[in-house]
Amino acid sequence: MHYRRSMIVGVAAAAALTLSACAPQAPEESGGGSAEAGDATLTIATTTDVVNYNPLIGNSRSDYWITNLMYPHLLSIANDGSKEPQLAEEWGYVDETTGYYEIRDDMTWSDGEKLDAEDVAYTMNAVKKDAPSGTFYGQLANFESAEAVSDTRVEITLTQPDSSIVEEIGFWGNVVPQHVFEPAGSTAEFANDGSDGGWVSAGPYLLTDVQVGQSYTMERVEDYPLVEGGTPIAAKVVYRVFPDVNTEILALQSGEVDVIANALPPAQVEQLRNTDGIEIAEVTGLGYAHMVYNMQNPDLAKVEVRKALAHAADYQAIRDVVLQGQADSTGSSPLMPVLSTYYDDSIEEYEFDTDLSRSLMEDAGYTADAAGMFPVSFRLIYSLQDSVTSQWAQLVKESSAEAGITIELQGTERNTYLAMTNEGDYDIYAGNFAIMDDPVTNFTLSYLPGGAINYTYVDDPELNALIEEASAASDVDEKVEIMQEAAAIVHEQVYDNIMYTQNLYMAYSSDWDGFVSKPSELLSIVNPVSVASAFPVSE
Amino acid sequence: MTTPLPESALVDSTPEPSAIGATRASRATWRAFRRMPLGMISLGILVALVLVSVLAPVLAPYPAGYGMDVLRPPSAAHVFGTDALGRDVYGEVVWGTQQSVLVAVAASAIAIAFGTVVAVVGAYVPKLDALISVVVDLTLSLPVLPLMILIAALVGPSTSTIILVVAAFSWPEVTRLVRSQALAVVKLPYVDAARLMTRNHAWIVGRHVVPAVTPVIVVSVVVTASRAVLSAAGLAFLGLGDPTTWSWGRILYEAQQSGAMVSAWWLTLFPSLAILALVLSATLLSIAYNDARNPRNHAR
Repeated sequence: MHYRRSMIVGVAAAAALTLSACAPQAPEESGGGSAEAGDATLTIATTTDVVNYNPLIGNSRSDYWITNLMYPHLLSIANDGSKEPQLAEEWGYVDETTGYYEIRDDMTWSDGEKLDAEDVAYTMNAVKKDAPSGTFYGQLANFESAEAVSDTRVEITLTQPDSSIVEEIGFWGNVVPQHVFEPAGSTAEFANDGSDGGWVSAGPYLLTDVQVGQSYTMERVEDYPLVEGGTPIAAKVVYRVFPDVNTEILALQSGEVDVIANALPPAQVEQLRNTDGIEIAEVTGLGYAHMVYNMQNPDLAKVEVRKALAHAADYQAIRDVVLQGQADSTGSSPLMPVLSTYYDDSIEEYEFDTDLSRSLMEDAGYTADAAGMFPVSFRLIYSLQDSVTSQWAQLVKESSAEAGITIELQGTERNTYLAMTNEGDYDIYAGNFAIMDDPVTNFTLSYLPGGAINYTYVDDPELNALIEEASAASDVDEKVEIMQEAAAIVHEQVYDNIMYTQNLYMAYSSDWDGFVSKPSELLSIVNPVSVASAFPVSE
Repeated sequence: MTTPLPESALVDSTPEPSAIGATRASRATWRAFRRMPLGMISLGILVALVLVSVLAPVLAPYPAGYGMDVLRPPSAAHVFGTDALGRDVYGEVVWGTQQSVLVAVAASAIAIAFGTVVAVVGAYVPKLDALISVVVDLTLSLPVLPLMILIAALVGPSTSTIILVVAAFSWPEVTRLVRSQALAVVKLPYVDAARLMTRNHAWIVGRHVVPAVTPVIVVSVVVTASRAVLSAAGLAFLGLGDPTTWSWGRILYEAQQSGAMVSAWWLTLFPSLAILALVLSATLLSIAYNDARNPRNHAR
């Protein structure tokens, strides 16, 4: 049974990606360690097998975790969503429709080939041409082509001004070796399963042995300049596959594994924090959980009904009980507090007030029957693999019933849920996104007509104009102002009901230290720099 | 157990000798059954479970909403502890009994009704028997659990889905058991005699064949019911149960989903004990009944 905390949905969000980091912030400083390359093995627990070894396609969590240790990203991300250097040392715009990256000159592939600007340009052009399903391609809407103008400089040409695209491509896209991927044909179809002589990695680790359903063994790439000292500390990293988070916790307690890659269920955090031999690392959430009302439903097309629903959920109780206080309110705004530049604290959370909901329903022209129920019924979909959402969906159903609104829960297996989501087969959608790092991109995908995650089916001319304006704006202050205006519309019209940003907790053995925490479950403490920096604590 | 058919009104109202014999036999069976402590205890447990399911609203408030005391071990306030949303596990088990008993009763009723009809018709109409045997063998050879999972996943989780899915895969067992008995019965002289009396085959089957196979049906009711509970709990544990109704399987499923299985033993112990109690007592009851029905035990 797969345990997944955040659902990643749709193109952008399916997004959940990866990357590796720089500018480490160790979650914990403790003494007595050997932070030098040794012969230790770091064992990491996961709940899913690798489905795709091609990082340009991406599917399960394990795909991201393992391919990220082999194929670098141009940029990394900080806890506030801002981008940091990784493979690229500098990036920006030459003019409105031309962006650039200056990359490091000291990275090499594990077969000895130099990692240069040609690899970067090849990857971007190939993804644009072959359109592999995944977030990377989703970010390339305004991308025309990339060119390696020198060994260390790549320039990209845009079809129209887009002030987010350089950072978004840099963050979401991996770089793959041209000399391996080009001969294999289309990047959308290349399995990259190592069947023709193994993998080629830019570090910090190289996959060497796969036992499907059991383990994935990776060996150190000796030269990895992104980690202090230039060499990853653990000689081997082994990802072991477990049936669910319960067995992962048991394995950690018995010392079978050193790290659990999946985020802990909220109710387990305190318990494990008090367990000897186990350390807990906090990972900043950079995404949100939300409910979306499908405006194709004639009842939900009325703003009063959407407002009535928004006021019929007790968000504070959900955060306190289901999430055990491990979540922050976003003020029901898509501009989360964690994105401090954009956050607007004048937008306040929808208050839990079932009387208000009732009067809103009456304003919308509905009359409650003798039992106090309005003649509407909405079908709320969620994924059964997402235990947090499954739990709060129950609470939303119960509190809505108090407001006289019937909600019918339809929890389904994840793939069915994703299919229903794509077809718009729901009245209310409940789910979450792991990383919503760039507001302009997120608004484009979420609220423009035809957007990949426009689950509301909203088409509001005023909002559309603001998003397009923000997309072209190059001045940050101007952009922030426009986005706050747009967020106010989303909040006022309830085009989206953002409930919280969840902070995640990861468990690892106290025999190890030196992990570097990055936002989201995808990066957390298993991002490449963190894995390469972890060292065994000597007794 | 006789199916009331309109024709039965035409029959002489004085009891037939076979009916008197049946009454005597059932009394003897009951007397023998009462002497078996395991059987009586099992019966007591089953009756208690049915009572709990009927009296659920009196025994515990419906576990809904949330509580602030999350994952607390059993205490005076919550005798079975609380779950990951702070709900009372005792209440969940009590209300879960209702759903489990409902599934057991409904699924086995459907399976028994359908299975018996198919079996008796097969035995009575030799031309259909070959076909029915093939269908039964085919269905019995299918990998049941994966198919149940597939169907439950495709149709979507709900109590009625669970009942239908479990029933759909339980009837062949009943058919096979009943058919073997019915085949012997239809060749007996009194059935031939009945054929001379009437051409109404439905009456013959209802009045003479079904009563003769009733003891076998009673045993399979109990066995099918307990199997239905196990299957339903299994499906619910895999997340294919009705997520809006409490069942024993759902308690286990939610414990697993919230990652609390490792630390909160009370979440798994109590629903498991309930499942064990029902399945074990159903099995022991059917064994005891079978023994009691054996005339050799009546003499003692």
